[in-house]
Amino acid sequence: MLTRLTICLFLALSPALPVIASEPQRVTTDGTNKRDPHFVSDTEVVYCYDEAPDLIRMMRVNLSGGEPEVVYKDSGDKHHIEPCFAPNGRYVVFTECTGNLTARLVIRDTEKSKDAYITHKGRGGTRSPCFSPASDLVVYAFAETGPQQLWSVKPDGSDKKQVSQTEGISNWPTFTPDGKRIVFSNSRENNYEIYSMNLDGSDEKRLTENSLMDIRPCVSPDGTQVAFTSTRDGNYEVYVMNIDGSNIRRITHTEERDDYATWHPDGKRLVFVGERAGRFDLFLVPVPK
Amino acid sequence: MLEFGRFKANTCSGVSRRGFVKTAATIPLALSAGIPSLAEAEEARERAKAKSVLLLWLWGGPSHIDMVDPKPNAPMEYRGPFGTIATKTPGMHFTELLPRLASRSDKFSVIRSMQTSNGGHPGAGTVGLTGYEENAGPIQPNFGSIVSKHQGQIGALPPFFYVGRGIPRDLPRRIEGYGGGTLGKAYDPFLVSCSETGEVGIPTLNMLPGMTPDRIVDRKRLLQQLDATRQQLDSAKIRDWNRSHQSAYGLLTDENARSAFDLTKEDPKTRDSYGQTTFGQSCLLARRLIEAQVPYVQVNWSEYVETFTPNGDFGWDTHIYNFELLQDRHCPIFDRAFSALLDDMYDRGLMEETLVIAMGEFGRTPKISNRASREHWQHCYFSIWAGGGVQAGRCIGESDAKAEHPVTRPITPLMTGTTISELCGIGARERAEMKVLDGGSLIHELL
Repeated sequence: MLTRLTICLFLALSPALPVIASEPQRVTTDGTNKRDPHFVSDTEVVYCYDEAPDLIRMMRVNLSGGEPEVVYKDSGDKHHIEPCFAPNGRYVVFTECTGNLTARLVIRDTEKSKDAYITHKGRGGTRSPCFSPASDLVVYAFAETGPQQLWSVKPDGSDKKQVSQTEGISNWPTFTPDGKRIVFSNSRENNYEIYSMNLDGSDEKRLTENSLMDIRPCVSPDGTQVAFTSTRDGNYEVYVMNIDGSNIRRITHTEERDDYATWHPDGKRLVFVGERAGRFDLFLVPVPK
Repeated sequence: MLEFGRFKANTCSGVSRRGFVKTAATIPLALSAGIPSLAEAEEARERAKAKSVLLLWLWGGPSHIDMVDPKPNAPMEYRGPFGTIATKTPGMHFTELLPRLASRSDKFSVIRSMQTSNGGHPGAGTVGLTGYEENAGPIQPNFGSIVSKHQGQIGALPPFFYVGRGIPRDLPRRIEGYGGGTLGKAYDPFLVSCSETGEVGIPTLNMLPGMTPDRIVDRKRLLQQLDATRQQLDSAKIRDWNRSHQSAYGLLTDENARSAFDLTKEDPKTRDSYGQTTFGQSCLLARRLIEAQVPYVQVNWSEYVETFTPNGDFGWDTHIYNFELLQDRHCPIFDRAFSALLDDMYDRGLMEETLVIAMGEFGRTPKISNRASREHWQHCYFSIWAGGGVQAGRCIGESDAKAEHPVTRPITPLMTGTTISELCGIGARERAEMKVLDGGSLIHELL
């Protein structure tokens, strides 16, 4: 009886049980400094990488192989980071560095070949934009007057408004598949924790509770799980939890950095940036249930 | 691989030794004037606790409160988003961004009470590297120029290296205190660059017009071109040209010197441990230069302070994206490279006679800006010291509850330079003879 109780207690209190997962499959091999992978189809991933010591460029790679290709060859000397492609395939949103200390949000309409630029007063930079499942809204992070809040804007650049009103730094918004809630990180509890809330900021729920960072949440296509990065085990590793914050599972197990997890459209696998022998590549790993 | 001029060639087979010997022979040895004799240089090195200095120059102003001096109990508008972790030094915590260094804090000491007089980059850069303001009279020499003048050159390698893309600068201008200052241009640093794949470049040779790979293969034409270039210069410029190119060709024609630049000679595991980043491989190159008895090596994190700007190379000037860049890019690279450097240097027994320092020109505002970032803050920042006669495992100095000001004796750049000099065997008499670091005092807490 005592033994069963001990086991039950252990299982209930263990925050992140190790999960035996398949070995991650390497997607790229060039080893350059990479970030922000994002699926644009079942077979293609867009990511950003250091093309030169002074330039971050957007690339596209096919999971089945082949050489990565530059997405926008005419971007000049402007850094491009954090791309997100709309589910309807029409829009792309990303952050573009246009000058010293200034970065704006670009929402590119690929049907009309037209860009909408989302700017705020003064210098500063937008962060981590994401599209709603209906492709009718972009949510991103920006600090205009102090605490960094979440904002929303329509794909044509209209109707920009602040959607969160909280202390600390909010970042990395991601939609649930029904488009009704946003999962994001906020730092008001002394470090980044993951929360979810309705689009209007109501009904906030805290999903993680840890003394170290829990960042970059990414909701699975079926809306039941959240992948994220945490340093809770000593360095950057990828984890998955249920949408309510329960059943945290550690997905990567290396002494080097694993970060920037994003769901494959099949909802069974993740692509992430893994550091191996000091080099950075994309890896694909199945997520155990 | 070694890159010279604007192209790359294999160090071992792509450079004609005879060709460069001929080239070097046409150039007078400008470096011989005013430099200590070999015997004097060796005597000076014998006297010093630190035979060499390796400075990691974190250009742009790294955030002290987000790295080595966290204040988890400060108000939210100060403390930032990062959790804290214990280090090996009792009572000292870092943020979660530096886990590798935290687990090695018994190998170095941290000063948390640095303070400088200038809040702008070029000015603070000059103060940080010379101890004096740019407008306080003639530009004073970089600490590396002082050490290299005193220690002298051993072998073909210049005594003072910059490893980086260029002389530190911001968008408007470069810093004044990068080199010899009142000691003269003979004590300017010799610049080499190092890519994330370990390719070493010598930008000095870029000035040769029309230099292309096919011309470097044609030695006769190269020799003619070098002579022609030299003859086009007036007498005032010819000495500078001689000096820089004599150094470049001198080291290219010396097998041991060339070897110091060849990172392919390293165990792949060692190269990997530093990280395949520009800063990581630059730190490895610096270690090889120290091993080759170069007295002073300064690794520049970036050429530009600007952190996120077209053509900028991601300095530490995080007016925007402070938290994102520290977390995503700067700290992981710094944590890995500096930790590997310390491990490697200790493993090779180099730390007893090498002083290793990491610092920037100032810190960043402890109060978070309206843009969720941090601005310049010269009133309180940090430096990290290891090896070369300093005590390890110490947390020196203390800042106030918001990391805004030191509550212990402020440690200044002039004290930094004086302590470096003293550890290198350059006492008060020698400093007075060189007319440098006047009025400086030691950081006794380190010794």
